[in-house]
Amino acid sequence: MQFAHMSDIHLGFQKQENLQKIEQMVFENALDECIKRKVDFILIPGDLFHVNIPEMRVQKFAFAKFRQVHEHGIPVYVVYGSHDFSPVSNSVIDLLSATGYITKVTKVKESTEEKITLDFVTDEKTGVKIAGLPGLKVGKDEVYYQKLDRKHLENQPGFKIFLFHGGIDELKTETGPETDFMPLSLLPKGFKYYAGGHMHDFLHQKYQEYTHVVYPGTLFAGYHSDLENNANGKKRGMVFVEFEDTIKNIEFLPIDNAEYEIIEIDAAKKRSEDVNTELLEKIRTLEPGNKIVIIKIEGELSEGKTTDIEFTKIKDELQQKLALDIKINRNQLTSKEYTITQANGKDKYEIETNIFSENIGEIRLEEKALVGNTGVQTAKKLLKETTQPILLNEKKSDYNKRIEQSAIEILGLKVEE
Amino acid sequence: MDGVDIVGQVIGGKFGDIVIREKFGKNLEIGDLLVSEEENSFLILQAFALEYGSQIQDRMQQMMSGVNLEQGVENAQFYEPEFVNYVLTRIKPVARVSKSDNSVTLPKSLPPFFNKLRLIKNEDLTFLKRSTEQIFVGYIRSGTKVIKDAEVWLNAEDVFSHHILIPATTGRGKSNLVKTILWHVLDSNKVGALVLDAHDEYFGRHSPGLKDHPKAKENLVYYTPANPPAGSNRLTINLESIRPEHFEGIIDFSDAQYQAIRGAFRDYHESWISQLMVLPPEVSASSENMAITMSVVKRKLRLILGLDVNVQNQVESKNDVFNAGTKGLTTVDDIVKDIEQGKIVVLDTSRLGNEAEIIVGNIIATKLLEKYKDYKQKGQLERKPVVTVVIEEAPRVIGEDVLIAKNDNIYSTIAKEGRKFKVGLTAITQLSSVIPRTILANMNTKIILGNEMKQERQAIIESASQDLSEDDKNIASLDKGEAIISSIFVPFALPIKIPLFEEMIKKHSTAEKSTKTKVF
Repeated sequence: MQFAHMSDIHLGFQKQENLQKIEQMVFENALDECIKRKVDFILIPGDLFHVNIPEMRVQKFAFAKFRQVHEHGIPVYVVYGSHDFSPVSNSVIDLLSATGYITKVTKVKESTEEKITLDFVTDEKTGVKIAGLPGLKVGKDEVYYQKLDRKHLENQPGFKIFLFHGGIDELKTETGPETDFMPLSLLPKGFKYYAGGHMHDFLHQKYQEYTHVVYPGTLFAGYHSDLENNANGKKRGMVFVEFEDTIKNIEFLPIDNAEYEIIEIDAAKKRSEDVNTELLEKIRTLEPGNKIVIIKIEGELSEGKTTDIEFTKIKDELQQKLALDIKINRNQLTSKEYTITQANGKDKYEIETNIFSENIGEIRLEEKALVGNTGVQTAKKLLKETTQPILLNEKKSDYNKRIEQSAIEILGLKVEE
Repeated sequence: MDGVDIVGQVIGGKFGDIVIREKFGKNLEIGDLLVSEEENSFLILQAFALEYGSQIQDRMQQMMSGVNLEQGVENAQFYEPEFVNYVLTRIKPVARVSKSDNSVTLPKSLPPFFNKLRLIKNEDLTFLKRSTEQIFVGYIRSGTKVIKDAEVWLNAEDVFSHHILIPATTGRGKSNLVKTILWHVLDSNKVGALVLDAHDEYFGRHSPGLKDHPKAKENLVYYTPANPPAGSNRLTINLESIRPEHFEGIIDFSDAQYQAIRGAFRDYHESWISQLMVLPPEVSASSENMAITMSVVKRKLRLILGLDVNVQNQVESKNDVFNAGTKGLTTVDDIVKDIEQGKIVVLDTSRLGNEAEIIVGNIIATKLLEKYKDYKQKGQLERKPVVTVVIEEAPRVIGEDVLIAKNDNIYSTIAKEGRKFKVGLTAITQLSSVIPRTILANMNTKIILGNEMKQERQAIIESASQDLSEDDKNIASLDKGEAIISSIFVPFALPIKIPLFEEMIKKHSTAEKSTKTKVF
């Protein structure tokens, strides 16, 4: 007998058409592999979708593929992830569940102030008992685990699998996320397999009371840093598990996604002009056709501004050479000429005010409305307006126009006819 | 002063050794706190010795006893016995309290001659009033009488950064005291602590413990090597976290052996221990002599860390703590991060050998001190909570013989310079006398529990923040749970009674209100 385990597919994450195609392709390839191998069932512990109601394009291909899997008689067992959960059971996961293409395994037998008692979903064909809990944002699901009646689950006989979506302290890696982890001891003991989601890299650890704790990792990318890791050679894929009474074999199967080129530049103690030249030279020797290009620049420039580096020009050149997409990571690029001084505060608004106040003196401007306290107030208003989210059903062009108009009004400017 | 309250009257002596006649039937005890009321202030005095006094000459008393014992005169009594025979109590002034502003100063004068004294009351101790961010250590005690409303709270940042020494022999309530202190540390995130729990007694795995604190979920982290209870972490430290310097000042390696260790680290980097374990010594050594040294190093490391090599040539840990694979790579960083957030991290080191426990503590404490030094350099130290490293049997790391033979280690470094970086030591010991005076002098708060060994009492008295030269008998007679706090942060050496932890948590236990949880 065999089952498949995949997670963190994040369908709908990609905004660029070329990458959307890859996202769809790897998802379909993964499920095709399950059909080809005639697995008994598939486990997806969370973040199948990037949001709980993704755009219609995503829903369309997801439904089509899951119908195909369903027609091959392969059940799919899922729990919500931190990205696709819905507090009112109003997500595309619930829609798929209502059609019978997938099964949500979180079956709450009883929920009181002190205790959450779960029941198992039994896979008809294999008799495997599956239970699971969903993942919530910022580790809020830990309260589920603290209240979980572990003994009830532990006392049930049979081949048991537990689905969970969240970071486990014991499987934390040096390069992964740093927050939202919980100890493994919060999971019920004695299950044959712990199918994890949330961690984007493949991980497999064995413990005495938790024989196989496995994260397959993302199939392609759910964070921008995933693409950077892919470019650095990280394999993405899914897990196939052979079992009888016990687990016989666990295989990580890499699924190809795209070709990559990565340019990493250490800008520390360099002039912006020199970094720009270095970058342009590097991209000119590159053959980016049909590849995703990642550019990562970090360090503190000794001279010049970060804006001196011609990122738009670089992007244009790469696009002309038919790069699939270009991702530029300049989060760690700073300039000695102008560095934002950090400031503290008791909340987000106070921190923003303090940072503006600390840094406004660095800017030499003649316009009185942009300096001193007035400047701080203007900056705060501008920040507030420009971070307004897009409204439901609002067109992107209308949104851009609305934000632009607000910014113009805050700055007290007039648009020339 | 009500006549009923009077317990004695000043009749002689000198500063530091005042003699009072005890009022009949008052039964003053060593350690009792007395009050001499004066015009604008009152003086607190403490009894340190008791002796008999009598108006009848010795020979006469001896004869009276002979009449009683040998002639069978049953009802022979002194005429007006309460007047004729009495107890003389020797007392010393410990503090003067101003009546106007409650300020406490060191006394520099005698109480008025013939002044009548009373026992201390609750109202006299309002200067102990609790302010913010303090830790509770116990109640003021006068002799064996506990003044229940007079709670002793110490400023957490001050006492922890200036180090705490808890000297006591077995069975005098050390664990109870540490648990009581840590219980109150859990109230807030103002103090971070690394607790090396060699007996796995603080968390309370099978009995009441810190886990029962209402804020334990947020502020307490428990690491144990095997079968952690729900919500606790597994203590797994990857061998890659260990560096050669973590053995310095702790393990008795010769110069040649250290050289071999550093060489291995240079060649194999983080995986140096695993490589040393699996490779034959002649492969990891550059010469035959070096190979012999390497094999000694290998054997020592195997014994210290409890390692073994299985038939597949893989390194295994006998104590389940050290891992040569991919487990426990972030444990040290996670622990340090928790401590930095003002949490108490209890490490169950009961399965580790003596030296392995110290090395585990060393790895974490080194990282912690490095980070705090860095925060100071960046001007961020103010925002960080004070942290303390709690270690039992402290002479293992700060004992004179250890430091002379093996140079400084992280624990002695913290004791000497940690204060500047808000990193302190809470050292528990039965043997204060083997800790160098330079380190003892740096431990500015001593919570002294009972100790029957004169040499130990002497070491404590000599390094105390207050003059305890007359308190030798007082310390010797401290019962279980009774203590004296000598600190630069208290106005005088405070006699306290530490509450029984189990009773204290019963009092504090308020069932946490949980809400019904909707599971999606």
